[in-house]
Amino acid sequence: MSLRMRLAALTLLGSLCASGLPAIAADGAIQQQGTLPHGGSYILYRDPTIASAAIDLWFRAPGAGYDNAKPGLARVAAIAAAAARLESGTSLAETIRTAGGTLAVNVYPDIVGVSVLVPATVARRVIASMTAAYFAPAIDDASVKTAVRDTAVLSVQQHYSAVQSLHNALFAQIFSGGPAHIAPIPGTLTQVSGITEADVKAFAKRAFVSSNATLTIVGDVAPSSIEAVTAGTPGPSSEPIDSPLAKPLPEPTSLPGSVGGIGLAWVGPPIRDEKAATAMDFISDYLFRYRTGILAKAIDASGDTYVTGQFITLHDPGVMLITVGGANAEIAKTQVIDALAKLEQPLDDATFAAARNAFLYHLAADTQTPTGQSDNLGWYAAEGNAAYAPGDTSGAYRAQARSLDPAYVASIVKQFLTHPVIVQLVPNAKESS
Amino acid sequence: MISYLRPSALLCAALFVCSPFAARAAGTTTLDRSGGVTFIRQQDAASSLVGVDVVVRAGLDRQTLRQNGLAALVAQTILRTPVAGSKTSLLDAIAAQGGSIHFSVDPTDVRFYVAALPSSGDAVLSMFARALAAPAFDPVTVRTARADLFARIAHKQSAALAVGLDMLHRAGSDAANAALPSLGTSASLAQLVPDDVRAFYGKYYRRGDAYVSAVGRIDALGPQTLAQVGDALAPGSTTAIAVHIAPLHGTSRQLVAHRDIQAPWLIAQYAAPDAKSKDFGPMLVLAAFMQRTLADIVEVPGVVSPTFASNSVGALYDYSHKPASLTLYVNGGMGNPDRAFGTALSVANVLATTKLTGSIEDFKAMAYGDFATSATTLESRAWLATIFAEQVASPDYIARAMQAIAATTPADIQRVAKRYLDKPTIALVLPRQRQN
Repeated sequence: MSLRMRLAALTLLGSLCASGLPAIAADGAIQQQGTLPHGGSYILYRDPTIASAAIDLWFRAPGAGYDNAKPGLARVAAIAAAAARLESGTSLAETIRTAGGTLAVNVYPDIVGVSVLVPATVARRVIASMTAAYFAPAIDDASVKTAVRDTAVLSVQQHYSAVQSLHNALFAQIFSGGPAHIAPIPGTLTQVSGITEADVKAFAKRAFVSSNATLTIVGDVAPSSIEAVTAGTPGPSSEPIDSPLAKPLPEPTSLPGSVGGIGLAWVGPPIRDEKAATAMDFISDYLFRYRTGILAKAIDASGDTYVTGQFITLHDPGVMLITVGGANAEIAKTQVIDALAKLEQPLDDATFAAARNAFLYHLAADTQTPTGQSDNLGWYAAEGNAAYAPGDTSGAYRAQARSLDPAYVASIVKQFLTHPVIVQLVPNAKESS
Repeated sequence: MISYLRPSALLCAALFVCSPFAARAAGTTTLDRSGGVTFIRQQDAASSLVGVDVVVRAGLDRQTLRQNGLAALVAQTILRTPVAGSKTSLLDAIAAQGGSIHFSVDPTDVRFYVAALPSSGDAVLSMFARALAAPAFDPVTVRTARADLFARIAHKQSAALAVGLDMLHRAGSDAANAALPSLGTSASLAQLVPDDVRAFYGKYYRRGDAYVSAVGRIDALGPQTLAQVGDALAPGSTTAIAVHIAPLHGTSRQLVAHRDIQAPWLIAQYAAPDAKSKDFGPMLVLAAFMQRTLADIVEVPGVVSPTFASNSVGALYDYSHKPASLTLYVNGGMGNPDRAFGTALSVANVLATTKLTGSIEDFKAMAYGDFATSATTLESRAWLATIFAEQVASPDYIARAMQAIAATTPADIQRVAKRYLDKPTIALVLPRQRQN
């Protein structure tokens, strides 16, 4: 499952009706896909009954730059492109704001995602503005300063987020190098302020090209809107970006932090192993989904302890990541490990069937909004398996979900979820006070 | 005369003049009435779910003051009613089928929202109809429902904005019972017994003025499925219990509460028009303007990512409840909220007293954008259709909002600001003092 969908928050084959797939119109035109003028791809998911449109641009790009030496560079570059004034005299950010829309920039170790939600009536203009901002960026000193300031604020915020801090720490432990080893938002303001206009321009020139992009559009948007795409300059095609695993995986570690918490992570299957990756999603949904996961509910009922969990579907490998915090975090950690050990034995048929139905519903619920659907389609495309996206009309993901059985899920637990990498954040007394 | 706070935004105005209000493809929304129930259907072939909003006139204004929490306890009892011939509650049975259900209690209504995969829509709605028609009033079920509400109340009390809105609602409501806390209080719920639950249900769960608003893959439902939900309610209609208490005489319009929160919240509330008022469009524009004014005051200009600061201020125009209201809020988590709040209130006063010049098209575009982008979940689409069907007799909420905003003039803005943005009631939610 895509990371942002899980964090927010933030749900087959056979007959179409029975599968839960959207009812495809006679012309089969709910979902269309194709190639952008200078390479790269687009996916258009039409829903004429929604008055808004989600428009996302996804790029495969390392968060700390192509030499992995500038933490925060991808975020600064993405924000600078959105903040820079285009030929029209208006920046993408101003255009979105004036249209009453929202703009979000989300940077992961291997992906940059720019997400917009606007009234569908202005979608064509926004597509033109957005692709101009990224495929023909007008980054200057002022926009870089704005972006550095923005990233500095997020850097401070991240400092006080146990979930984000643990996520960064666990990835740094699991991966010995590459972009996944480095936090996409730097931990110190010095690193942010060290990013220069020249760094940003060089990064943007390589990363923000059409041939490296996936454009996803969901809502009441005509197929002809694709004609509004600004072509930009040609560039090379790209492949998903992987990071090397640490070998052997490290022993449990304690690290100082501004907030306390415990993180557990397991290396999982790559996105191409669709059935195993789907089983990992099922397990995280069954145990850890906010408000409905059986372990999340049990721990949350205590009122002073929490658990969050997700399987992050990545090109190779994926990662199951669980964080616990609160007054009884140590007990909750044991509960997590015990719950997974219990799943090494197959669930009974009735429990499994109910859990799988709930899982399928959650997939659909998570992609019911234009933003959720666009995020879903874009993430899987950027990670290298677009047709496997849960929201894709091919139904490939749901077919995998339908094919799961208790014994297979138990085998996946045994294969992937037995020896976690564990990081404990120990609050710095002075800072946390 | 005033000039707008963000002159740079005017540069964008030309780009968006009229274009946001261009014609859009119409969805297939239908409305019909049968046996006192209004049925709204918004077919969406691109959706992967079907969602149904069921509104029953069994809200807070059907309670007496001594029955605080009873409307919520009845609704939660329905969710806890065993179905499918087993001990499994409706809540769990729906989840096991691939669906979900929850409810909210409003001043006049109780509103259930049921969602399901298309393949399980019939089964899920059939289970809901059975529980709605014959809830379990045994002590165990009612006790479980009460415990559920205790947990929800505790959670709600930790949300400062919800606490403040509840206080303001109490201060602004015409009827004392309609202003009771939507879920009751732990103390009041403890006094309610199964017979109270049974009696309230028997008296108020009626078809009269009920709404069944469906959206998504309605085509996957059987022809009688939605009617079955309406038929689960007994015939007849009910009226509210009028409970008036003489207002306190005093000059203070400030409410204060202390909770276990990290930072103070300042919340100001004004009266506002409902969706059928000619002031509806201008108020949507004003709300968009105030939202951005507050954001401009606290935000670093040009920032595009959500931050603590941008998430800590806002304007809420609530036209779905009676009385309608405009609420401005500032969370002190990012520093002293006095300046932001004082500036926002000053802007409101200036808007009411000063003639506007220049174009308001960019603010109209923002207002429409805010409206359109807030209606993306199936639940919000079903609910908005119900509100607009009830208030303006048409479920096409997008068309109504678009027309109302497009017709708004600078003179409307001033008139509406003058009429409504005066003498707010202010709630302060402050951190509880901790002992060392």
